[in-house]
Parts: sequence; C-alpha cells; structure tokens
Amino acid sequence: MLTFVIVYYGVLIAASCAAAYFKQRQAFQLLFSLLLVSMVVGIVGGAAGLRFIAIAACLLAAAAGISYAFREFLVQIAKPSLARELRTAPLTAAFGMFIIFVYAVAAIFAPWIAPFGQAEVIDSAFAPADDKMLLGADQLGRDMFSRLIYAARNTVGLALSATILAFLMGAGAGLWAAVRGGWFDTAFGRVVDILMSIPSLIFALLILSIFGTNLTIIVVVVAIMYAPRVFRLTRAVAGNVVVMDYIEAARLRGEGDWFLIRREILPNTTAPLIAEFGLEFCFVFLLMAGLSFLGLGIQPPTADWGSMVRENATLISFGEITPLIPAAAIALLTVAVNFVVDWMLFRSSGLKER
Amino acid sequence: MSNPKKEVLLKIEGLKIQGFTDDVWIDIIKGVDLILHRGEVMGLIGESGAGKSTIGAAAMGYARDGTRIAEGSIEFDGMELTTATQVERRALRGSRIAYVAQSAAASFNPAHKIIDQHTEGPLQYRLRKRMEAQEDAMDLYQRLRLPNPREIGFRYPHQVSGGQLQRAMTAMAMSCRPDLIIFDEPTTALDVTTQIEVLAAIRDIVDQFNTAAIYITHDLAVVAQMADTIKVLLKGEEVEEAATEEMLEAPKKDYTKSLWAVRSFQRPQKARPADGSEAVISVKGVDAAYTGGAKVLDDVSFDVCAGMTVAVVGESGSGKSTTARVITGLLPPSKGEVLFKGEALPPSFRDRSRDQLRQAQMIYQMADTALNPKVRISDVIGRPAEFYSGLTGAALKQRVDELLDLIELEPSQYYNRYPPELSGGQKQRIGIARALAAEPAFIICDEVTSALDQLVAEGILKLLDRLQRDLDLAYMFITHDLATVRSIADEVVVMKNGQVVEQGPKDEMFRPPHHPYTDLLLSSVPEMDPNWLTTLLEERGVDNIGEAARTGQRAP
Repeated sequence: MLTFVIVYYGVLIAASCAAAYFKQRQAFQLLFSLLLVSMVVGIVGGAAGLRFIAIAACLLAAAAGISYAFREFLVQIAKPSLARELRTAPLTAAFGMFIIFVYAVAAIFAPWIAPFGQAEVIDSAFAPADDKMLLGADQLGRDMFSRLIYAARNTVGLALSATILAFLMGAGAGLWAAVRGGWFDTAFGRVVDILMSIPSLIFALLILSIFGTNLTIIVVVVAIMYAPRVFRLTRAVAGNVVVMDYIEAARLRGEGDWFLIRREILPNTTAPLIAEFGLEFCFVFLLMAGLSFLGLGIQPPTADWGSMVRENATLISFGEITPLIPAAAIALLTVAVNFVVDWMLFRSSGLKER
Repeated sequence: MSNPKKEVLLKIEGLKIQGFTDDVWIDIIKGVDLILHRGEVMGLIGESGAGKSTIGAAAMGYARDGTRIAEGSIEFDGMELTTATQVERRALRGSRIAYVAQSAAASFNPAHKIIDQHTEGPLQYRLRKRMEAQEDAMDLYQRLRLPNPREIGFRYPHQVSGGQLQRAMTAMAMSCRPDLIIFDEPTTALDVTTQIEVLAAIRDIVDQFNTAAIYITHDLAVVAQMADTIKVLLKGEEVEEAATEEMLEAPKKDYTKSLWAVRSFQRPQKARPADGSEAVISVKGVDAAYTGGAKVLDDVSFDVCAGMTVAVVGESGSGKSTTARVITGLLPPSKGEVLFKGEALPPSFRDRSRDQLRQAQMIYQMADTALNPKVRISDVIGRPAEFYSGLTGAALKQRVDELLDLIELEPSQYYNRYPPELSGGQKQRIGIARALAAEPAFIICDEVTSALDQLVAEGILKLLDRLQRDLDLAYMFITHDLATVRSIADEVVVMKNGQVVEQGPKDEMFRPPHHPYTDLLLSSVPEMDPNWLTTLLEERGVDNIGEAARTGQRAP
C-alpha cells in the first residue's frame, strides 16, 4: 500500500514538474491541481481515497483520450466541408458523439452482442455475477447484461420514434402556421396553448390508463405532449424567415405553401431545429423511462431501463449497485446527447470564441 | 497657440490592421498615415471595404473583434495609443474622443431616455453633476436646433425621428467636449431633406467648439460640405490626400477621377409613344391603408409605358413602396384599380393568374434579404424559368446560362455558388436575373442602388438601361436619390404623404417652376460645390431649417 502512495505522488510531482519545464501551461495546471486535491484526499481518506482519486483521474483521462481519437477518426472519414466543422468540436461534443455511437452499435446489433435473450431465464433470482453472466441475474434469473443491451434497442428506439413523430407534427404545423399566418396561425396557437396547459405527466397517465399501455399509444401520447414545444420554436424561427424579401418574391411568383416550406424556409431553420431535436430527445427519453418505472411504459418481459431500475430496486437494500446500472445508462446517454446539442446550439447561435 | 489649427492632435503612422479569416491573418489596412490638426475636419472616403470605418475605430485605439492593430503608431495628443493600457485607452473614449455611429436608432439603448444616455459620459468622468449635465444637454440640443430642446431629452429613442436622433447622438458625442469626434456615415441612412438638417447641425457645432473630426462617408458631395481635407482610400491603402477644394477641382489619381465621374452617366430621355398606345401599367385613383391604420395612399394615379422608366421619388414614408405593394397585389387597394395593358388586375396577388404574376416582377433594395442564402444561384434564377415556362434539364440550364450572360456574370463560375459568397453588386445582378427569368413586361426597382457603392451602382444602372433597350421593358424606379433619377428616368412622379405632388417628363421636372415640395427635394441634393451647403442655408434662412422648413411647406 505504501509503495502505491509513494509511486502515485512521485509520478504526479514528476509529471507536473516536466509540464512546467516544457511550458505546457494547461497540462501543468491540471496535473498540479490534481496533486493538491490528492494531498487533501490522501490525508482525509487515506490510501483508499487516494485510489479512488487515481481511478477517477484515469477514467477521465481515458474518456478524453477516446474522445480525441474519435474526433480525429471522424475528421478523417468525413467530407472536407463537414470535417472542417468537426475539427472545431470541443472534446465534450466528441465524447458525446462517441457515447451515442456506442449506444447505436449496442441497439442495432443487440441480438449478436447479448449472450442471452432478453426474456430467457438462466439462473436463480439475483444470482451474483460470474463468467457466464457479467452483471449477475435479475429478480427472475434473467441475464442482466443481455437485458441492458436489448433495452438500448427498446428504450432508445421508442424514444427516438416518439421524438421524430413529435417533430413531424410540431415542426410541420409550426412551419405551416408561419407561412399561412392570420386566423390559421391563431387557431393553431390556441390549440397548442390548451395542450400546454395540461400537466403532461398526469395527461400521459390518464390516456395510458384509458387506452392501455400499447406501444403505439405510448409513442403517440408522448409525441402529442411534446409537439407543442416544437411548434412554438419552429413557428418563432420560421416567423423570422417568412418576413424576408425572398419569401415575398416566391409568393409573388405564385408558389404554393408546400414549396415555400420545403425550399425556402426549411433550409434556413434546420440548425436550431436539429439542436432542439437533441434536447427534446432527452426529455422524451427521460419521460419514457419514468413511465416505465411507474409501470405504464414498455411492458414486461421486454427489457427497458426504466422498469429494470424498478424491478431490481430491492437489491439496493443489500448494498448492490446492480439497479443503478440501467439508471446510469439513462444518465450517460442524456449527458452525451446534451454535450452534442450544446455544441450545435453554440454553432447555430453564431457566437464565436475570441 | 496663435493658430490652433497648426497643433497636431492625431498622428497615425504606417498603420497596419489585420483581420482573421480562414485561419490566417490578412492585412485590411496596409500602412496608412494620417495627420489631423486641432479643429480640422478630415473626410475619409472610399467604397465599402476600403477600411474607412476600421481606421475610424483605430483612431480611438480600438480594433474590432477579429481584427488587430499589427503595426504602426497612433499618437493622440502626445499619447501613444497602440502601447497604452486598456484602462488608459478607455479613459479617452467618450471624454476626449467621441464616436457618432451610422445608425443612431441601433446605437441608442431603447430602454433608457435620451438624456440619461447623454449624461452618462459626464457623470462617469465626474465632469459635471447630474443637473448641470442635463442643463448642458438641453443647451446642446438647442444649438443643434432640435425642436423643444428642454423636453426632447426626456423621450425614449423610438419617440423621436431618425434625423432628430442622429442630432441627439451628435449632442451626446459633444457632452464631454471632446477634442476629436469620429463620424461614421452619420447621414447615409437619412433622406436628403433630413440629411441637410443633420449636416448643418454637425458643421455648426464642430465649428463652435473647434473640435477636430474625422468624417467617414462614401458620398463625395457630403464630404465636400463638411471637410477641410479629403483622404481617398481604396482597399486599405491611401490613394491621395488634399485640401477639399483642390481635391474637387483637380484630382490627381485615376481612381479619384473615376469616383468624381460616377454621376455623369445619363441616357437620353424617351418620350411617350405618339400613337397613344396603352400603358403597360396604369395606376388609377388608388387609395390604400394598412389594416387598422390611417390612409397611406391617397388618390394615386400614374402610367408606365412600354420601354420607359418612371421614377417615383419622395422621402421615406411618402408611400413609394406602398404603391409598389399595391401594384404587385401584396396590399389590395381600398379604392381604385391597377390596369395591365388596359386590363384590370385582381386586387390581391392570390387571385391573379400565373401569367399576370409573370408580367410584373420586382427587384429589391436589399439583395441580402432578397436572395435565399441557402439556395444555389442556379436555382434562384432557374426557378422562375422552371415555374413559368416549364423548362427542365438541359433547356433549363441553358436558360440560366443565358440569363447569367445577360447580367454580365460568367455562368460557369456562378452556377453552383450560394448568395452569401457574392459581393453586394453581384447579388443585385442575380436579383435582376431572377426578375428577367420570368420574361416580364414590367419591373419594379425598389431602391435597387441605394445600398451599393457609387461605382457599383453605376454599373447596375447601366445594366438596367441596356436590358431595357434590348428587352423593351418598362421600369418603375423607386428612389430617393435624385442623382439616380437624373441619370435613368424618362418620367418622374413626386410623392409626399401618400399623394402625387407633381408628375411629368424628367426635363420639365428638373426645370423650374416647381411645386414647393419638389423644389425642397431638388435643392436638398448635395452638390459637389463645397459652398453649396452654406449658400443653401443662407437662401433658406438658417433659423428656417429643419422642422420649420418642412411644416411650412406642407401642401394645403
């Protein structure tokens, strides 16, 4: 144990001195502040605390490394115009893209990655982790890891389709309202006001308990709940575009609404809409997980992160972290998407770093 | 100190300013020298991109975001600004160097009263107490001939007119009695009649306080009134500098001569066809109002004949653009009608047939907002051809090439580009091509040259003239610039407060006797004579300038 402590401090001190000597300002600041924090934690928490700090720092470094490599990879395979944009992406955005990529792989290739089926009973209930089952078994003896992989497909797939549907409805109506204006716009606006005045979770619970928890109904209900927000944003953004002279010119040419929306307005509103898509996806995803946790979402035996948390919740009392793993999966994806969206928002807002 | 003009106030030597584009620093200002004496007014002129405003900002020791002062020295009253600290430079601004921006409306904070913004400087520098500062502000407002000088400061910026706001801004620049004021195109956004008021006010106050000034503009006639010396800039380099009179009479360099010659373009005036054939567009007794608003057009009638150009002139708010909206059908008139070749057009564009829409096209003032930034040039021009004539594939491409040729742009170079990649003049040409693609008989040109530099504007006017002769087009030319009218119009319609004040062939219109309003408009156009403003003010009587002049001459 003593050797670990000595080696740890020794490496840190040497590294920060080297960084200072070679005038690597940022690296030095990072290393030296890590050293200071380690000293405090070392005194308070002893060697265990130190080990925790070391592992956390290594994880962060690994995440930064993989983000950097992934960004370079994307820059090399992308088209020149896209590559120039990607090169400006901060590491957080690259990290987000990497996580999304991993989730996408897990979701698409779930049957090949997962060693067992999602409804297959393998072992006794709550069997501990072993060579066969990476994360142990759940309350019915199904493989936790396989269910986690399958859930990526189910939960993300459902959230994605609900978000896409919400966007089709909200953005479509928003663009149309902006182009038509007048009473048409007002009518749409008031309907949206009504929808937004209903508390969304209670509305969802109500509808789902009336019509049952059918997958289609879940998607439609969630889409209806989120479409108004998309409508408002789209209408506001498109409202700034429809007053332009080129729209007037197209109108005077005799173009129809559909042409105006598709060819003249949509290309000028994509940036904020894509950013909003990412944000809405997170909300929808969290709501879906919440509904599942309440038992109104995806129904068993289909694997789903929200319901997995609930089903395994009893394990918490035994000091096991198993139920937290699906929760962490939810959190990680949400954070990742937000990192990417932050970058897109920054780009579409036109703010430039000095 | 016997002659205060001899003391050097600002000395710029070998100034180089760089801008950051596409990951490299490129020179914007390539070594400019400038010496300004106390109480002297220097005019900086040149087309856009010449670096006038950048030099103006540099005189305050300021480089805009994305630019940096790379080389050279800026010495203000013995103090070197390039090496001064941020705090030292900041202490100069507002107190000893002031700045008057082009758009006062955009530069005032709309949430505070004018006088509160005025007194901010003196209070910040502890030059005056609040009450004294307010008294001083009112005094300045009076000197600048603002109406109700004791009361106007307590209004918000949106409650006063553009010309008054520009004068209030000049007063604000004066609030700390600076040694140097930088005027960055202060009258470019104003009408000719308002411009005079502002010019006179600025000149007076600069004289009264013996303030030095740098006057940035692209309008030669304006600078001739204001400046003691003129410096001509081109692409970040000095072309020449001389005293105003010398410069006007005998410019040395070719570029300066070309600037001077710009307004010389004039084409022969055409008369109406004698056979009394039908006008292409005739507006008959049109009244119009915006929803819930007062009447904007009152009994407007005029004709536009084939192959002729009718210029509609008047200051802003006179109903010029509204007339265009009525003709295109964007604003259905409440009374009267618009005839196309003797046939009444449906009031709203929605009820017009595709062919009727095709016949009347429009070219916009701001090419930036008139072209969709996300649509390729080939589609911008190709779409009307596709839409009206049903051209597709190779035939469409050929038509687009033809149109690009017509507007003197090389097809292969522009075919696949997007509007933001083009310069202002090129964009305006694309706007023209889009109108031509519909093969119209009549085109409305809404202030097409007012956003362009004079050389570029002349090119556009020549192009429009050639197209008119080749394609037998009828133009309705909306403008407030009488120089443009002089060069291109056949007939002139003068509008004021939504009414046609006077109309007729151009020759008659430019020859007295005029309607008093036409006279006011005509006499307000700056001329190259440096004594023009002085003479004009004497004629009108100094006290009579401004609001008084306008209200006094309003038609009964």
